Amino acid sequence: MSPYVITILLSSLGLGTALTFMSSHWLLAWMGLEINTLAILPLMAQHHHPRAVEATTKYFLAQAAAAATILFASTINAWTTGEWNIYCLSHPAATILITMALALKVGLAPVHFWMPPVMQGLTLTTGLIMATWQKLAPFALIIQMAPFTHPLLLTTLGLLSVFIGGWGGLNQTQLRKILAYSSIAHLGWMIIVTQYKPQLTVLVLITYIIMTSATFLTFKLMATTKINTLAMSWAKVPTITAMAALALLSLGGLPPLTGFMPKWLILQELTMQGLPLTATMMTLSALLSLYFYLRLCYAMTLTISPNTNNSSAPWRLQNTQATAPLATLMIMTLLLLPLTPLAQTLTN
Amino acid sequence: MLKILIPTIMLFPTIWLSPSKWVWTTTTLQSLIIALVSLSWINWSSETGWASSNLYMGTDPLSTPLLVLTCWLLPLMILASQNHIKAEPIARQRNYITLLASLQTFLIMAFGATEIIMFYIMFEATLIPTLIIITRWGNQAVRLSAGTYFLFYTLAGSLPLLVALLLLHQNTGSLSMLIIQYSQPMALSSWGDKIWWAGCLIAFLVKMPLYGVHLWLPKAHVEAPVAGSMVLATILLKLGGYGMMRMMLMLDPLSKDMVYPVIALALWGVLMTGSICLRQTDLKSLIAYSSVSHMGLVAGGILIQTPWGFTGALVLMIAHGLVSSALFCLANTTYERTHSRTMILARGMQIIFPLTAVWWFLSNLANLALPPLPNLMGELVIITALFNWSPWTLILTGAGTLITAAYSLYLFLMSQRGPLPQHIINLQPFHTREHLLMILHLLPVALLITKPEIMWGWWY
Repeated sequence: MSPYVITILLSSLGLGTALTFMSSHWLLAWMGLEINTLAILPLMAQHHHPRAVEATTKYFLAQAAAAATILFASTINAWTTGEWNIYCLSHPAATILITMALALKVGLAPVHFWMPPVMQGLTLTTGLIMATWQKLAPFALIIQMAPFTHPLLLTTLGLLSVFIGGWGGLNQTQLRKILAYSSIAHLGWMIIVTQYKPQLTVLVLITYIIMTSATFLTFKLMATTKINTLAMSWAKVPTITAMAALALLSLGGLPPLTGFMPKWLILQELTMQGLPLTATMMTLSALLSLYFYLRLCYAMTLTISPNTNNSSAPWRLQNTQATAPLATLMIMTLLLLPLTPLAQTLTN
Repeated sequence: MLKILIPTIMLFPTIWLSPSKWVWTTTTLQSLIIALVSLSWINWSSETGWASSNLYMGTDPLSTPLLVLTCWLLPLMILASQNHIKAEPIARQRNYITLLASLQTFLIMAFGATEIIMFYIMFEATLIPTLIIITRWGNQAVRLSAGTYFLFYTLAGSLPLLVALLLLHQNTGSLSMLIIQYSQPMALSSWGDKIWWAGCLIAFLVKMPLYGVHLWLPKAHVEAPVAGSMVLATILLKLGGYGMMRMMLMLDPLSKDMVYPVIALALWGVLMTGSICLRQTDLKSLIAYSSVSHMGLVAGGILIQTPWGFTGALVLMIAHGLVSSALFCLANTTYERTHSRTMILARGMQIIFPLTAVWWFLSNLANLALPPLPNLMGELVIITALFNWSPWTLILTGAGTLITAAYSLYLFLMSQRGPLPQHIINLQPFHTREHLLMILHLLPVALLITKPEIMWGWWY
């Protein structure tokens, strides 16, 4: 793709999100979301592979449906209350419709079905954008909406997402699908706490972006998209392979690693709100996700040579990817837990 | 506290920066010095019950013996794994020692923590190094399922514990061990409180392990390399016992009625796992089940919540830690020579390794609680406390000691006595290193009985 085109696409991608961030008017927020969607479509379809085209179409349909619903619901709200402001959403039908539309946009269960196949059709770089940057704009709206929407709806979305995200990933062998399910599960953690402490949602979002970026960049460096090829990656980059296993466990939320911090703070908030049952269900759902992360660790790091392997040795091409971002993200993925007091201060 | 913790953390540069020829020597030396310095904790002169405390960590009579045991174990683990890791590339050797040292760091912080959430995090943090030790350095393909069992049994128990602790934190406003026993006793009566009670203990009961949730332990022991087995038997199981002792103080009014099924299961487990030992064919599995059996007794001692019960539990934990670790080392020496854990393939070893047969003899006697060893002291105190609680328990505990004696004898006779099998023709002689390892295990056991106050906990 020509550098001019890619510059325009990437800047529109940024612009769309920024527009949604800054808007207080539903129409403007909707426009931001649409610009954002339209900008990523050419990036998704740039390799004219049938899978990529299929993923682009699916993504377009899901996002367009969600955006149309948002437009529809905000119009209803404006019709009945005469108010376009995001903070003045009061019509119950409109709030529920918009919440569901935003859930569809980010891929929360039960409207997550587009997400794994779409991720599977993308390159790892575009997949990284999809899993991180594309969540920001809808979440900005969800956080603003949360006080007006029905609490039970958000809790249901959260619980369903963590369980379906854990359950769905168990049966996968494709890394991008596993990461899509991991994303669904993390979104569940984000949405469950939005109504009680939106700062924590932001914290989970930030830590999730750090951890998942490290994982995506690692897989990109290893040029692997299947568990099978992952098993041979230690031959290319042994140190990073060892680190990546820990990064996956961090995604799973095991204690001395960064991933535990958001889970801990969310559980604390949920118990403070008198919801120990919800909190227990959330923690136990983490076991489901942890199972497939652990399987990846087994394949990648814990069964390395000498052993029998079922895949051919990969090409050892010259690495052109910059490693500084990966190194930074990896360190942040593993070692941020001692900063929990800081996170707590910032989120109070 | 820091004078132990910082040298332990400084083990990492030692491991990675010392020349490859000296890696094992320097790390053993440094960890042994740490272990010797840690003995100064035993010299007790505090009136408040807490010593060497800083903002986050401190020692008290309950945690001190376990801390010293942790520090003592690291040089022994390094000594024990030297032989089978030496064949690996140097980077992997360093990696392995790094894992052992990181485990030690986490364990010191776990036993030293004065805040229960800190203890919880460090308790969980030990999972990752142990998991890697089992699944990366184990020998067979089954090690992966052993690792999964280990991780998921522990986490399924300990994640509800986190929620239970956060609830406790919300009720009392603090989880500091320094003050929590002085907080208002809570009025606990509802069903929710009972579930909370269970949530507080299940994590530790799984870790102990209680009979019924013990299946992860034999698997993990069988598949782990020797250092993994040693640290599991010596310290990681004791994390469960230690955590239970800390939690029991806060669960007081409810525990009186709630503990009955747990005590029943624990004592029944002593019999059952002892009987399982009697028909084991696998050397490491036998020792692992013997650990479950001993820890059942420890769990019983803790759950009746009398000073004697606690003291006995602590004494037995320390003694069992050293002795089961010694047995695992001995099993590993056999394994490294015959490359099999099957007992029937390595019989009659006394004829070729007479001195090692002495070590086997002493370790087995210690395991079956021969007087005057501290194992006997621990078992006797627990049995007495249980008898005082309910005379009927003597049926279970008495039969339990009998079965323990029986399987220890079985283990000794099977591995050491009798004729040498025909296929054993060329075994490597024992290294001085291995004899030293056994001395370093058994000497503390013998010396501890001369001054048992240091492992009596709060009550002496």
